[in-house]
Amino acid sequence: MDERRKAHGPLIDKALPIAVVGIIVLVLPLFIPSWASSLVTKVMIFGLFGMSLNLIWGYSNIPSFGHAAFFGVGAYTAAIVVMKVGLSSFWLSMLLAILVTAAVAAILGVPAFRVFGVGAGAINPIYFLLATIAFGELLSRVAISLRPLTGGTTGISGIPDPNIGFGVTVHSGALYYLVFVISVICLFLMYRLVNSHYGYALRGIHDNEKRMQALGYNTWLYKYTSWIVAAVFGGVAGGLFAYFGSALVPNNLAMPYSDISFLLVILGGTTVFFGPLVAGALYVGIEHEASNYLPQRWPLIFGAILVIAIMMIPWTRGRYRGLGPEILRLWRKVTRGAA
Amino acid sequence: MSQALVTGLNGLSYAFILFLLAAGFSLTFGVMGVLNLAHGALYMLGAYVGWQIVDSFHVFWLGIVVAAAALAILGFALYWVFLKRLYGRVPEQGVLTIGVAIIIANVVLWIWGPRAKIMQFPHVFAGVITVGGLSFPIYRLFVCGVGIVVLALLWYIQDKTRAGAIIRAGMDNKDMTVSLGINYGLVSTLVFLLGMALAGVAGVISAPITGAYPSMGDNLLLLTLIVVVVGGTGYIQGTMLGALVIGLLDTYGKAYVPQVALFFAWIVFLAVLLIRPSGLIGRKVF
Repeated sequence: MDERRKAHGPLIDKALPIAVVGIIVLVLPLFIPSWASSLVTKVMIFGLFGMSLNLIWGYSNIPSFGHAAFFGVGAYTAAIVVMKVGLSSFWLSMLLAILVTAAVAAILGVPAFRVFGVGAGAINPIYFLLATIAFGELLSRVAISLRPLTGGTTGISGIPDPNIGFGVTVHSGALYYLVFVISVICLFLMYRLVNSHYGYALRGIHDNEKRMQALGYNTWLYKYTSWIVAAVFGGVAGGLFAYFGSALVPNNLAMPYSDISFLLVILGGTTVFFGPLVAGALYVGIEHEASNYLPQRWPLIFGAILVIAIMMIPWTRGRYRGLGPEILRLWRKVTRGAA
Repeated sequence: MSQALVTGLNGLSYAFILFLLAAGFSLTFGVMGVLNLAHGALYMLGAYVGWQIVDSFHVFWLGIVVAAAALAILGFALYWVFLKRLYGRVPEQGVLTIGVAIIIANVVLWIWGPRAKIMQFPHVFAGVITVGGLSFPIYRLFVCGVGIVVLALLWYIQDKTRAGAIIRAGMDNKDMTVSLGINYGLVSTLVFLLGMALAGVAGVISAPITGAYPSMGDNLLLLTLIVVVVGGTGYIQGTMLGALVIGLLDTYGKAYVPQVALFFAWIVFLAVLLIRPSGLIGRKVF
């Protein structure tokens, strides 16, 4: 908790790092080769994906093993809108991705929270976890079955470059800036959300849900709406991923991608807002190096990171102290030391 | 009609393999409170260990025994090194065991390669039985036999022995059981090892049917989760009923409506969770 309270402190803690990171990311493509800027694009997309899960896992203590379901629904919706429906506008495809993801999350959230439950009143989170696994697997099977629309097991490939209107098509190099703009918007919205009254209520639910109920909060509604909000941001990340990778497979909806999302949350830490983004940078970096040097052993490395992260990262009362808080501590040390 | 009967018998042998896995999984969860999502990967590892033994020594029984022992040891290490420190933290146990499952799958791929290993039937069970124009492989009857023996054994332990009484008492109220001076830790550790060994046995006996390949545990783990939820935890007969429902449904579905069969198990799963979360026959342990 103290981390977040302090984050409201002096300007040097917030505005300066944001400006520095923002400017660096903005001018970076001028200095690095295009494959590297494509990696940074991937970092932004996966960072957004991890942060969207952090909204529920980190802030309101709703663990989910099926967050890729929403990532995949967003991605598939954007791809289907552009390729099968024939609406070429990037903005329209993202809007529809958001709407469809929100609808799917709203439908799945009813049994997830009303019946299985998590937090106060639920007997054991195992039902909720098994249900979230089921959602991802069920949707990936839907994607396999609806062959004419989704391409079956081979998935969708050849998704065109995004068309942002006025006859402008964003080619692969410029996709970086498009993803950057969308990510900044999403990060701003998420930041405002978690630092609003609503976000503090979610943290209250995390710490003591029974007390929040006693204070008159409808905690069910808070958890349910945060689930939908997290799904929507996950869906946006998925939509961007569809344009970025230009190919989708049913596994984008299932466990392999859900694994990535909770790895980012745990590795990045849940006590600071930007944690999963930092973990995203580390993850994409390691994945890139591994696929260069040890492509056969990448799953082994991934599994090892998962095991090491869950065993080593300090955990107190449902919160992980991952990379995010460490970097924040380092930054404070540097700025305090200089002053 | 005759085709339906053969499919039914195939479904039955599939159901018994599911039962072996689900019994181990639900014992682990019910008694230890451990969510072990590496159960499918351990089953796959059991199949490979069994294949290796049978390939080297040509003794099928030895393969079963060694795989069961190896998995019990590995399971114990997994518990002692990792799961013990995550006591009571179910989501973290899930994350850990998913990581372990990914590691096991890749190590197996590393050691034995991507191609499926075909295990020879033991000679005794090599033929087919022909009853009224229907032919049915003897080996599948053997699989059913193993399942029935394990079911009888577990049922006996659950209802008639002191260990079973301790397990049932521990599921109802662990603190009370411990405070009565019963060594619940010992019993629950033994049960955990039994669950691991059953996964190994399931792997070895299904290897001659499906072959051993690195991803064989993935889909089966998901079906195991479904069986456990549908059947309910806490009673071995519930697990058996869940395995029968899902095994037969899956086999008949794949035989007659392959397009829809992918969903069947998941729809049953969600329906049971919605209507009767404690499972068809289950005590409310969690």
